[in-house]
Amino acid sequence: MTEAAFLAPRRRATVYEAYEAPFPVPRSDAEAMRCRESVYRADLVNQQVLVRDPAHIELLYGQGYFGKGILSRARPDYSLSDRWQEFEGRQIPVISKARYEQLLSWRRDYLLSKGMDEEAVNQILVRLSEPIEPAAESEEAGLAQTEDSSQKKRKRSSSTDEQRRIGNTGNQDRQHTDPAPRTGSSPVDDSSPMADSSPMADSSPVADSSPVADSVLDSAPGTDSAPEYVLVEGDSDEEEGGSEVNQGGVRRLPFSTTEVLQLTLEEAFFLVYALGCLSVHHNQKPLSISELWGRFRGVQPGFESSYAAYHYYRSRAWVPKPGAKYGAHFMLYRKGPPFYHASYSVVVEQVRSSGASLRPFTWRSLAALSRITANVSKELMMCYIIYPADLSEAELTSPLSLHRLTVQEVVIKRWISSRERAELDDI
Amino acid sequence: MADPSKTDDSERIFSELLSPSELFAARSRSRKLPVRGQKDFYPSGCTQQKQRLQNSLDEHWELVSEERVERLGNLVRGIWNPSDQIVELQSPAGKFWQTMGFSVDGKQCLQPEEALYLMECGNLQVFHRDLPLSIQEGYETFLSSSQLSLQQYQVFGHLKRLGYVVSRFHASSVPSLYERQLNLPPSRDRGANQLKRKRSPSPEATATVASSPRPSEKQEDSTNPSSAQDKATNHSEPSAAQQPIPEGRRPPADDDVTGRNWWSDGLVPPEQQQDGGPSHGGPTSRWDFLSIQFPDLGARDTPGPLAPPDPALLPGAMAVGVCSVSSWLRRLNTWREKQPGGKQRRRREEEEERARRRTGPDREVQGCRSWAEYRRIMERRRKGSRRSDSKPAHLWEKDVTPLHDPRQGTSTAELLEKISVVKPSRWADKSCSVEAVGTWQISFDVHQPAVNTEFRKSSPGMPYSRMCVCSFDGPVPALGELQHVSQQSGDVPVTMAVVDHGDISFYTFKHFLLPCDLPQ
Repeated sequence: MTEAAFLAPRRRATVYEAYEAPFPVPRSDAEAMRCRESVYRADLVNQQVLVRDPAHIELLYGQGYFGKGILSRARPDYSLSDRWQEFEGRQIPVISKARYEQLLSWRRDYLLSKGMDEEAVNQILVRLSEPIEPAAESEEAGLAQTEDSSQKKRKRSSSTDEQRRIGNTGNQDRQHTDPAPRTGSSPVDDSSPMADSSPMADSSPVADSSPVADSVLDSAPGTDSAPEYVLVEGDSDEEEGGSEVNQGGVRRLPFSTTEVLQLTLEEAFFLVYALGCLSVHHNQKPLSISELWGRFRGVQPGFESSYAAYHYYRSRAWVPKPGAKYGAHFMLYRKGPPFYHASYSVVVEQVRSSGASLRPFTWRSLAALSRITANVSKELMMCYIIYPADLSEAELTSPLSLHRLTVQEVVIKRWISSRERAELDDI
Repeated sequence: MADPSKTDDSERIFSELLSPSELFAARSRSRKLPVRGQKDFYPSGCTQQKQRLQNSLDEHWELVSEERVERLGNLVRGIWNPSDQIVELQSPAGKFWQTMGFSVDGKQCLQPEEALYLMECGNLQVFHRDLPLSIQEGYETFLSSSQLSLQQYQVFGHLKRLGYVVSRFHASSVPSLYERQLNLPPSRDRGANQLKRKRSPSPEATATVASSPRPSEKQEDSTNPSSAQDKATNHSEPSAAQQPIPEGRRPPADDDVTGRNWWSDGLVPPEQQQDGGPSHGGPTSRWDFLSIQFPDLGARDTPGPLAPPDPALLPGAMAVGVCSVSSWLRRLNTWREKQPGGKQRRRREEEEERARRRTGPDREVQGCRSWAEYRRIMERRRKGSRRSDSKPAHLWEKDVTPLHDPRQGTSTAELLEKISVVKPSRWADKSCSVEAVGTWQISFDVHQPAVNTEFRKSSPGMPYSRMCVCSFDGPVPALGELQHVSQQSGDVPVTMAVVDHGDISFYTFKHFLLPCDLPQ
């Protein structure tokens, strides 16, 4: 059987990004000295690996295209709105009234789920949705401004872009006293950053690290003591403050959502084991590599084979991304998804004396997969992970068994007899 | 054939020869195929649709039930030989002989699938026990053997109708590794080979062919002038090859079973080889390496100019004069000339110059006098730029440690090298045992259509591909089976032909090694 020819990957028509680095590790000693942390942090939550720190998210995705933002299509760039406007020296997002109402309703559901009664919830919501006057704002926040205005401004300018990109409106250590004296409610005492609480009300085990603070009014989930502002577009075109509640104006953000990067199990294990630049925590306890291997194998059957394939492709400097969209295990990209179209869709198969195949094929399913792959202009590749005959089950409990596996790739193509006759192509 | 409108068979006398009116009707019937209209996707229940469906069904039925009319003189006669499973032609073959069929003892013969295909085309009429075979009988007779199944015939027919040249696959036609090393021309008349397959393949046949080219190339090697140390090897190989030649001819006549023994007879005991060149006979070498002297230019007393070589040894009319060695001697033993001003000072200046170039423009580093100072400077700088970042204990203190430490900067190429733990395997490595490979056999060789390429049956050349036929309801080949099939085929790619009740799809499985994509 002859060897399949390698076709160069097709470049995308427009590329909006610049290529940074293949892996999130420094490439020289100078870079190593410049970067602050060499190990990033992730949490194993409900059998998913999540990275919450926005700086880490940025680095992990930007260098190597690991993971996927849960609120975005691929790159974690969720932001509340596309349009921003100036308000008191900072940028606030502009959202439509319908969206504001939606956020209010989410806040309402959240408060109700905490066990508060309707009466209290309604009151809170009314107070929350009061418009903010720019003049009044400056008077009550005057004290705070003098203290940390300079600090704020510096942080603001440096982190505005980051804020916008990640949309993480609350994870910053700004000590901004809210209009508590104005409304007469209890002063804000939760100065501790609640960085770990994820906003999804349904996934309560996620927010297991820190409880919601007492001052429910001002601390929307996902924010710390600083409430964020949004500019709500009313029915009329008036956009600045001073209008009524039902029309537009600057309001407090009732509900904010934080973007979190989700890593697949193979990506997470690769970062931990091969690069040593990630540490995965479970219930605040860091996991060692063997523990991680055991857990992942328990969660996903066939993990050792799919991880071996992932590791192999990463060590050949290709970027494998999950290929569920095309019925395969992985899609292989050269350099990364933004630059080239995926060249191969990989199905992983294990060749073992014991154990069934990961994905038993019939000719019918193979024909279907081959057609799908041809329709999206990719090539179907089978990746066989060959286990030596003397590799026992006990040895597989350690990740060191990876060193003994070998990989064989086979490209499957459909040959059309009539077309070949006409074009006289090579098989 | 079955004509549904004529129910009364007894009245109609079935005759093969047509009356003039029938012949005229057959000649002039329309050759157009029924036109395929647009598809309807669901039954709408209206009469128009039903009528359309009925019309197209009737057209198809008429087409399929058409009698085939052929001139008797055009039909080639053949006789079915069940014991050998071939069809022998009685009358000379037509145009199809260019790409199909084979000759045996002067008779033209066809394989069963070729015969059936020609019968369906209307070129051949096969007789068995003096009666012509119908198409149905042809299918039953030819395809009942174990060598040819219906699916294989369907693939054969499909490819032939597209114009390819399809022939049977013979495992012996694939050159083995040994034959490829020898670069033998491909053997002719493959059709005859399969009938003579009763004879076991004889090892002597290949061995005698093998031994004759080897001494001849060794002789050519040895006539080239070579230096003294090649003398021993040069002499050993021709002598080892020469000895088996006379002896090798003997065993094939004597014993067939132990045909391989003559290699051990042919080995020359080593002590005979060291005797020096000329004692072994004429054709080995004309050089007496003991008497060739090389001048020693490095000797203390400088030798004079070199004498010209013997003109008998030079090719053609080349004349070489005396060679002066003074220019070569000048290049030997060139010490560096001494500099004025004292050795110590000069050396110190040189070292300082080199040190300055090495350490670069960093003044602090230039100022330090020892490695310890340098390390202190680096440590101080590192501490100043970032906070101390110790190794996470849960990763590094346990039994399995990461492959790479991100606190060190490593170039991408080195990093990839480090993490390449899962290695690719080579296609030739048989990864797993072969259990049930009986189902995966190569059936046919396929060559490109004969119209465009020159095709000679005697030397068809490398096939375009080889076909392995399987059923759509069967299993997909696993890796071991793929490797086995590709090994059977040698260098030619193998295509899987999957037959689904007449529909054939072709898939190729090719091994591949993903290239490493090093970023700049």
